[in-house]
Amino acid sequence: MSFIQSLIDGILIGGVYGIIATGLSLVFGVLGLVNFAHAEFLMVGMYVAWFAWHYLGLDPILAAPLSFAVVFLLGYAVQRHLLDRVMKASPTAQIFLTVGLLIVLENAALVIFGSGFRSVNVPYQVESFRLAGLFVSAPYLYAFGATLVVNLALWLFLERSWIGRGIRAVAQDPMAAILSGVDSKRTYRIAFGLGVGLTAFGGGVILPYITVSPTVGGQFVVLMFTVVVLGGLGSILGALAGGLAVGIIQSFSALFFPISLQNLVLFIIFIGVLAFRPQGLLKGA
Amino acid sequence: MFAPLLVAEGLTVRFGGVHALDNVSFMAGEGEIIGLIGPNGAGKTTLFSSLVGLQSLRAGRVVLSGRTVSGMRPHRIASFGMTKTFQNTALFPDMTVLENVLTAMLLRRDLRSAKNEALGILDRLGLSRIATRDVADLTFPQKALVEMARALATQPKVLLLDEVMAALTPSEMDEVMQIIRELRDEGLTLLIVEHHMRAIMSLCDRILVLNFGQLIAEGPPRKITNDQAVIEAYLGHGATYGEGLADRACHAA
Amino acid sequence: MRIVYRYLPTLSLIAMAACLPLVLNPRGNALRVAATALLFAAVAQAWNIVGGLASQISLGHAAFFGIGAYTSTILYLQYSLSPWVGMVAGALLAILAAGLLSVPTFSLKGHYFALATLAFAEVMRVIANSWVSLTGGPVGLTIPFGGSNPLLFQFRSTAAYYWVILTVLVAICSVFYFMSRGKMGYRLRAIRENEDAAEVSGIDTFRVKLWSAMISAGLTACCGTVFAQFTFFFDPDSIFHMSGISIRMAMIAIIGGIGTLSGPVIGALFLIPLEEISTAFLSSSAAGVAQLVFGLILIVAILIQPQGIVATWPGLMQRIHFRRSH
Repeated sequence: MSFIQSLIDGILIGGVYGIIATGLSLVFGVLGLVNFAHAEFLMVGMYVAWFAWHYLGLDPILAAPLSFAVVFLLGYAVQRHLLDRVMKASPTAQIFLTVGLLIVLENAALVIFGSGFRSVNVPYQVESFRLAGLFVSAPYLYAFGATLVVNLALWLFLERSWIGRGIRAVAQDPMAAILSGVDSKRTYRIAFGLGVGLTAFGGGVILPYITVSPTVGGQFVVLMFTVVVLGGLGSILGALAGGLAVGIIQSFSALFFPISLQNLVLFIIFIGVLAFRPQGLLKGA
Repeated sequence: MFAPLLVAEGLTVRFGGVHALDNVSFMAGEGEIIGLIGPNGAGKTTLFSSLVGLQSLRAGRVVLSGRTVSGMRPHRIASFGMTKTFQNTALFPDMTVLENVLTAMLLRRDLRSAKNEALGILDRLGLSRIATRDVADLTFPQKALVEMARALATQPKVLLLDEVMAALTPSEMDEVMQIIRELRDEGLTLLIVEHHMRAIMSLCDRILVLNFGQLIAEGPPRKITNDQAVIEAYLGHGATYGEGLADRACHAA
Repeated sequence: MRIVYRYLPTLSLIAMAACLPLVLNPRGNALRVAATALLFAAVAQAWNIVGGLASQISLGHAAFFGIGAYTSTILYLQYSLSPWVGMVAGALLAILAAGLLSVPTFSLKGHYFALATLAFAEVMRVIANSWVSLTGGPVGLTIPFGGSNPLLFQFRSTAAYYWVILTVLVAICSVFYFMSRGKMGYRLRAIRENEDAAEVSGIDTFRVKLWSAMISAGLTACCGTVFAQFTFFFDPDSIFHMSGISIRMAMIAIIGGIGTLSGPVIGALFLIPLEEISTAFLSSSAAGVAQLVFGLILIVAILIQPQGIVATWPGLMQRIHFRRSH
């Protein structure tokens, strides 16, 4: 029974990891750069949702679209004013620009919001549905449901909309996309905004069960990279599958290891996958 | 008959689902000049990369002087006597011409004696005047020659030249061709990818023709120019060989 | 005689640096800041060997720093072994760890390598936090002070630490200098500028990168031991900290001038006092401001002068000098 229980928890948590990592994967796929600051945008998204809850009384899950919107604009501006300039620079410059961004965002949050933890109060926070002897946690379930909706919306956007097609074209072949009239700079900006926005959305929906602080990003850095690397950097479907896989792994390792060692399992998987199959486990040969 | 210095057996390389090289086999004897031609994307550069170990093989084997070198890392293959130049050049941009050549001599010598030898190689290729210039400041044809000098500095037995004559003037090309012949006379084996048909036809003892990763023809230049499969590969079905083959090839370059 | 003349400016700089404790108050804060700056210069130079010379951007060097600190401290606390011996042991352990980590990660390029090293440091942090019987866990380790004893690497005066740190810095800079010259220098430059071309030119790129990674890790571990002895206390979250240690050492080298001999020194002399001053003025109001400024400096440095401070004017002189010497 605890096996199925862990599986359910793992899938619900993992679905949210999926949307968080999808944003990172999208950025890599389209811009070709690893955004080390990505987890900080999750943190920003969490704060946006927290303030929306605190001042507007909005449920964090309903505030998540607001997180998306705010962080989308922030991401668009970051791409326009900072990252645009290193798109053709060396990996060293790209790595350290995003690392610098990480430091700035984390410490700006520390200066503005203080180092304290903030959490929300929602009625379903500790509720769970009982189903044939199993517990389905309400906040996990709602968060999972919200990510399903966003996944669908993302899919529709990338498949159907003009901008979405441009993004996919640039991801596949930047040169050909430019030659066929895609404005690559604008596409990069939208893709980066979208990428960090999706992750921020994930930050909003987890707020009912995870508290926010300026350093919360640190907890998610390796996690989201593990998800993306498992699924193959740049692959959106891979990120979703990787999210589920990591959620399930995490929830099962809780059965066997003390909490402090759960992350260790992830890190080892992460280094292992990077070393032996950097193109991702879930991508075909 | 030449003793086979280099033997390639069934070389196969795949990118995704595409066969970049499909079961390519050939031999090269000591002191032979072999031309490698084929339309763009036929797999010429891939063949070179897989011979020197930069591209891993899906199947097949490369034997150099009786020793299987496939699967080895490029620096070991270089130490056993096979190296290549890079098609759009891959020099060390922040080094001078001389330093580029010196770098390829670290295998064997201390720097002092290497320097004289490096200057000798540069002199031979007519690059002495620019020995202390940064390679970043050179013209494309000069860079291609520095590529060749750097490759020679590893003292190869087999040298793969990937379009070193692109963008040379006819008289410069004659000089390079003369150098290639001299190297051959000293016993070096050369494989040459070149879009200048004039150079290929006059230099090579034998020509290999690649198309879609497959070896579609092999033989002396005269035979190749009359080969129906080759003409079709270049010009499409139904064409006949005239001046077209050379023109078309030059266009591609 | 000519050699003495050539190294004269450097030697006189070192001599001047060695005289600093005679000028400053030996118990004062200024000397402490100077010692800290030199220690971070040393560790940034150690990073520079793999990050600058071999162009392998590591974001996880805190792993080796922490290995050095933990090894010497645990050996001292549990087996009463002198930290000097522990320093050697820590360096060896770090070399081993770097070697083992290199085997799977060196085929990774750029971003991927950075990711793998980052995860490695996190692994070390998690292990240090959970292996309580060995490391003391999250509480950290405290080295009891038993009075000045050079054999046990304990001194009452900051000046002594300062001199030890200066020696370590000079040693690491010398290693860097000799690696950047001669055959090894050519190999490293070739790898940095074009790895494939280096390979077909007969350079065993893997071996060269492995050597520099192991040397860098060993020297970083030595700095870790010095840090532990200098501060008397550390815990897993501070010693394996990503932005506090791993990124800071890389950042010092980058802002000073990545891949150059003087870069890490200039970077540390610029950043560490700046950090100390800003913390002194702002610490009570906002802990993050100093770090925030750091991040902004890094961003501005990357956008405006990616070659670092060295490349502005002194770098120019050095370049000319370097050319002539060939």
